[in-house]
Amino acid sequence: MSTIRVRSPASYWLAVPAALWMLGVVVVPIVLLVWVSFWGGRAFSTASPLTTDNYARFFANPTYVKLVFSTILHTLSLMVVTGVLGYCIAYFLTMKVKSPLWRTALFLAFIIPFWTSTLIRAIAWVPFLGVNGVINQTLMFLGATQSPIEAFLYSRTGITMAQVSLYTMMAAGPVVYMLNSIAPQWREAAMTLKATPFTVFWRIVFPLTLPGVVIGQVLVFLNVMSDFATVATIGGNKHALLPNLVLLFYESSQLRAASVVAVLLMICMLVGVVIALRVVDIRRLGAER
Amino acid sequence: MAYESDTKEAVVPARGRRELDLELRSVRKRYGSFTAVDGVSLQVEKGQFVCLLGPSGCGKTTTLRCVAGLEEPDDGDILIGGREVTRDPPWQRDIAMMFQDFALFPHMTVAKQVGFGLEMLKKPRKEIAQRVNQVLTSFEIASLADRKPASLSGGQRQRVALARAMITEPRILLLDEPIGALDYSLRETVMLELKLLQQRTGISFIWVTHDQNEAFSLGDLVVVMNHARIEQQGPPEEILQRPATAFVASFVQGNNVFRGTVKEILAGALAVETPVGAFVVPRPMTGATPALGATVSFSVRAELVTDMLAERHVNRLTATCTAVEYFGSVRRHIFARADGEVLKVDQFGAQAARIAPGQAVQLGWTAQAGVLHLGSPERGPPA
Repeated sequence: MSTIRVRSPASYWLAVPAALWMLGVVVVPIVLLVWVSFWGGRAFSTASPLTTDNYARFFANPTYVKLVFSTILHTLSLMVVTGVLGYCIAYFLTMKVKSPLWRTALFLAFIIPFWTSTLIRAIAWVPFLGVNGVINQTLMFLGATQSPIEAFLYSRTGITMAQVSLYTMMAAGPVVYMLNSIAPQWREAAMTLKATPFTVFWRIVFPLTLPGVVIGQVLVFLNVMSDFATVATIGGNKHALLPNLVLLFYESSQLRAASVVAVLLMICMLVGVVIALRVVDIRRLGAER
Repeated sequence: MAYESDTKEAVVPARGRRELDLELRSVRKRYGSFTAVDGVSLQVEKGQFVCLLGPSGCGKTTTLRCVAGLEEPDDGDILIGGREVTRDPPWQRDIAMMFQDFALFPHMTVAKQVGFGLEMLKKPRKEIAQRVNQVLTSFEIASLADRKPASLSGGQRQRVALARAMITEPRILLLDEPIGALDYSLRETVMLELKLLQQRTGISFIWVTHDQNEAFSLGDLVVVMNHARIEQQGPPEEILQRPATAFVASFVQGNNVFRGTVKEILAGALAVETPVGAFVVPRPMTGATPALGATVSFSVRAELVTDMLAERHVNRLTATCTAVEYFGSVRRHIFARADGEVLKVDQFGAQAARIAPGQAVQLGWTAQAGVLHLGSPERGPPA
């Protein structure tokens, strides 16, 4: 069997198609975006002088600055909720469901909704959250509330509820993978060394699944930070986060302002990923065995 | 390995009754319709080295896991140090366990790993550090303190796993094929070290293995298991010299097993008719003598069969040598038997070779050489 050695010419040639693709769809557009965000003047042309006026204008508006912080805060709260829920689901699926048939069935039940697009799933929440929606009718039927709760649709609560359902499995998936790689005898060895189940979890299971948690959190972070569709459908016109601002500027043909927000959004996301990589070296995922 | 236990002293039994570290009373464990452990009873005296020996799937590991509390038996009692623990979880039992692949925690350094047991006992941090240091030094792995398991060799991992299990000074150390993962050349050294360690610390070792060399060279008590049951238990010598069942005889190296029917009952002996001839076998030392016509089995050790026949070699058999092998200091001749099985004849390698492959030889053994097995050969030992 012939193998391709590291740093052999063949390995570089094999990387060419992907590299060209990434260059065309990622690198070039980002460079263009950053370039446009510095364009001054009034004309939309490559001859525009480069200034930082667009950024100055953005930061001069307290509403926009507040939006940056509220986007980050919203994302963080979603990371906490999906992180906890996702870990519980992952733990339940891998550790508590013993029968392989049930495990597969439950896993499919969690996964199948992901076959539809995020936008459709976001829209699907509308009939649930409305004043006469499924949730309100159920609550009233159960007598939990007298009048329908209006806070669900077109509110931050509704957005959070929908996004939790959309992104929890993103937080759970990598944890499932990491939990599956934990050998049962590690937990057994800890138990024979007098560790109670709680200690076994905190000292053995959780540290070993931490890379999975971090990857899941990165996925949720990136998706929520860039999710304008859910916010637009569930939040109506009343609520917006940074990505909606990009859309808003774009639709009103303020391409330079849209680029500024897009660049800022990318910087926020980049910082988030760098922090995540500092916490856990996810490149060494599962390598320590 | 100069491991010294500084807190444990030989405890003199307070009462006249001998103190048991471990007692199993007809322990039974089923998985669905499969019985993994079937009525296993065992008594381990203080500071004994016990080897559970048997082929894979015989229930030896499940028995060990029941003692550890990692499996809960369906029936029977488990007593550790005289205290009933059958329903107790592992963390409430006075045991430690060494796993087959050592089960080192991949995210902890060697020092953290070894100190884990003391941490669980809520010992002060300073004491843990001091004790870990001391144990790492005595196990000659102090230089590895800051390394993680992934960067250790098999032998180093074995030492770390042993140090981790021994540091809490449990009453019983359970070892599941503890040297099976080591290189063959390392095993003998490690075996000797472990035996010395066990003798020095006075901790009872329950050692599970499928390797009879390990079991016979280490165990004070060897327990041979097959099909979820104990076939025979006793000191190594007893099992080697007086195998109780046809299974034990054929499992232990160097036995020739014969099956047949009782043809005649003589004074102190039986004549057994087998497909390859009639042989005289001594009556069993314990238990009832089988009735006339009963199906029985007996075995003769390979070194008791000889080609230098004298008058006392009353049992005779002619067979053709098919191969000659060497086992350490022993030369083993393999003969084809008329019933399709093989007959093994051992000689000291130092003696001159007399039999060559292809040669038909008359062989014989004395009336006292055979060992009659308990129970019928097909149904295993009497319950």
